[in-house]
Amino acid sequence: MGTARRSWPVDRRTILRTGAALAAMQVSSPFIIKARGETLVRIGMVDPLTGVYAAIAQGEVVGAKFATEEINKKGGIMGRQVELLVEDSANDVGTGVQKTRKLIERDQVSFIIGDVNSGIAIAMAQVTSEKKILHIVSGGHTDPITGTSCTWNVFRVCNSTAMDANAIASTLMEKFGKRWYFLTPDYAYGHSVQAGFEKLLKAAGGTSSGALVPIGTADYSAYLIQAKAFAPQVLINVMGGGDQVSSLKQFVQFGLDKQMAVGGTLFELESIRAVPDSARIGWWTMEWWWDQPGVPHVAEFNTSMKKITGASATARNWFGYASVQTLAAIANQEKTLDSVKLSRALAGFKLPPEIALQPGAPAFREGDHELMSTVFVGEVHPPKGDPDNMFTVRNPVPGEKAAGPAEATGCKIHWPA
Amino acid sequence: MSAKDTRKLIVLAAIWAVLILAPYWMVPLGGYTALATRVLVLGLAAMSVNFLLGFTGVLSFGHAAWFGLGAYGAGLALKFLAPSTPLALVLGMLLGGLCGAVLGALLVRRRGVYFAMVTIAFGQVFYYIAFQWSSLTGGDDGLRGFERQPIDLGLLKLDILSNANTFYFFVLFCFALAVGAMGFILRSPFGRTMIAIRENERRARFLGIPIERHIWIAFTLSCFFMGFAGALYALVNNFADPRGLHYSQSGDFVMMAVMGGMRNFWGPLLGAAVFVVVQDYLSSVTVNWMSFLGLLFVLVVLFFPRGLLGFLQRGKA
Repeated sequence: MGTARRSWPVDRRTILRTGAALAAMQVSSPFIIKARGETLVRIGMVDPLTGVYAAIAQGEVVGAKFATEEINKKGGIMGRQVELLVEDSANDVGTGVQKTRKLIERDQVSFIIGDVNSGIAIAMAQVTSEKKILHIVSGGHTDPITGTSCTWNVFRVCNSTAMDANAIASTLMEKFGKRWYFLTPDYAYGHSVQAGFEKLLKAAGGTSSGALVPIGTADYSAYLIQAKAFAPQVLINVMGGGDQVSSLKQFVQFGLDKQMAVGGTLFELESIRAVPDSARIGWWTMEWWWDQPGVPHVAEFNTSMKKITGASATARNWFGYASVQTLAAIANQEKTLDSVKLSRALAGFKLPPEIALQPGAPAFREGDHELMSTVFVGEVHPPKGDPDNMFTVRNPVPGEKAAGPAEATGCKIHWPA
Repeated sequence: MSAKDTRKLIVLAAIWAVLILAPYWMVPLGGYTALATRVLVLGLAAMSVNFLLGFTGVLSFGHAAWFGLGAYGAGLALKFLAPSTPLALVLGMLLGGLCGAVLGALLVRRRGVYFAMVTIAFGQVFYYIAFQWSSLTGGDDGLRGFERQPIDLGLLKLDILSNANTFYFFVLFCFALAVGAMGFILRSPFGRTMIAIRENERRARFLGIPIERHIWIAFTLSCFFMGFAGALYALVNNFADPRGLHYSQSGDFVMMAVMGGMRNFWGPLLGAAVFVVVQDYLSSVTVNWMSFLGLLFVLVVLFFPRGLLGFLQRGKA
């Protein structure tokens, strides 16, 4: 038998070697193809495409890709076509920083967008300000990004947590009462939301307690039992992404929805879709909403998104869309790709209606580079008619009113010489 | 000098030539200098794991703890003590190494899977300390607000902050120091004893070698190297975060060591290079990059049990 096998000239090891060599070629060949057109304007986007924020990050990417197509159809940036390069930060700071450097050093991008995770967004901002690259934070909400950690090159499309908290706090206090319990994810975003709420609550004479929950927690029973023991009038749920879905599901399973109201800042459409009807409850803020009768361009944008994703446009779609469109608009207006000049022009820049897609003309505020976007306060409910009609806007709050004065954010912008 | 020695020298020279010239050949091939820097740092970490796994025969699954402690040590030193890069490196190494030395003393009587379990447990203790102590470590958000500082050599100032190539050569210099020390230890009588313990612990014990003490020393040295690698990692990112202490990170290091070849001195560096480059490249192409990396690992373990480098060497012989 042994000799019979030997007579076959190709042995197992040769096959393995050939296989390995072929596999290596698959990986290496695109590496060497570097002859990309030099006329392209590249925009780099870093978002956690894997991990707990995968769904909402994908939403931003869809919006950003659609914006890139639209821009290219209209002639690109200064006549040059735009290329969007998307990188996965894997919800990890080290990887996010690495990918940002890769986009800037290797791919020579002119602009950076990202990240959904605020911690990564701040770490990325360190890199972009060092490399002098205009950076738009599309979906990371913590206050320091346009507050104590603000830099000249960083602008933000989504709201700060303080804006969302200010907009909804008064509604919750009036409707339900001033005894609150917090379910807060244990990282900067959660801490700053809770601090914002507690400040408002204390000013109104309320009391509160709460639990800090690690990201990625699956079982909330211990925290919900504590909440029940405190007997609050409102349970403020600050959890994000998949964590919010599981915590709300368990909130209803425990029957707590009959004992207390639930509410908070963000309950994004992606998350509402993922919970059963019984968990579609409470008072929340939306940072953008697809159903705005009478506001120009919103319906068109929604139809385009529906064609791509098969569902109504979400706030995340708009974040990605507005980030890319803003970069193209300002570069075309100033006729340059120089980050310092563009950043100066972007401070105070008013979004035109086809980008803003909301009432009024929100601007990037000069003092802290935050977009003064409308905060839509309203109620979440099971679908009525349209399957995505699960939120009713009760009280749209203008961005300037929700944000308070720019000086109060603690942001001091130092421009490069 | 025998032919074998000559060949060894040639291989060694080739390795260092590849490393020294990395910024020049990586960029035309579509890489970037920061990627090479990351390979060096994670490679040093994987080699530290291998110092214990491959040469003493003890599997630690909590080595990321010392790596992360090194990173926090360096970050805290830069942020609160003094803006000095060498000081940060030394303090990072000390924090990782000393914590490893203390806990190592509790670990050395365990063997095999029990040793691995206890190292995971101790590692997770440090992970949760870093995660929860928000006021000092920044919690889940990570420690930020520090930057690596230019190095003043009197005559010349090395701008390692904004010049990526200079920083690469600085990291390569640190890497060479650590690897040199590691190689020196392995060639010493102590290193030979470690290998004897790996091959047959009982026989070594009968020869009168104090096994526990030797394993403790090997563990401690490995922790010092790990802390040093962690301190370098903090300088790479200008950031330290609790994920660096998590046991999944330890798993990555073990994976690099096993993939590259754990009986081989340079194997883990190759493993780290493959791991980092494949991750960097695939994750730009597909969100399912983890499946491919896992598949690669499974294939290596199934078909090249001595790792990639072991396979290459056997092919040559």
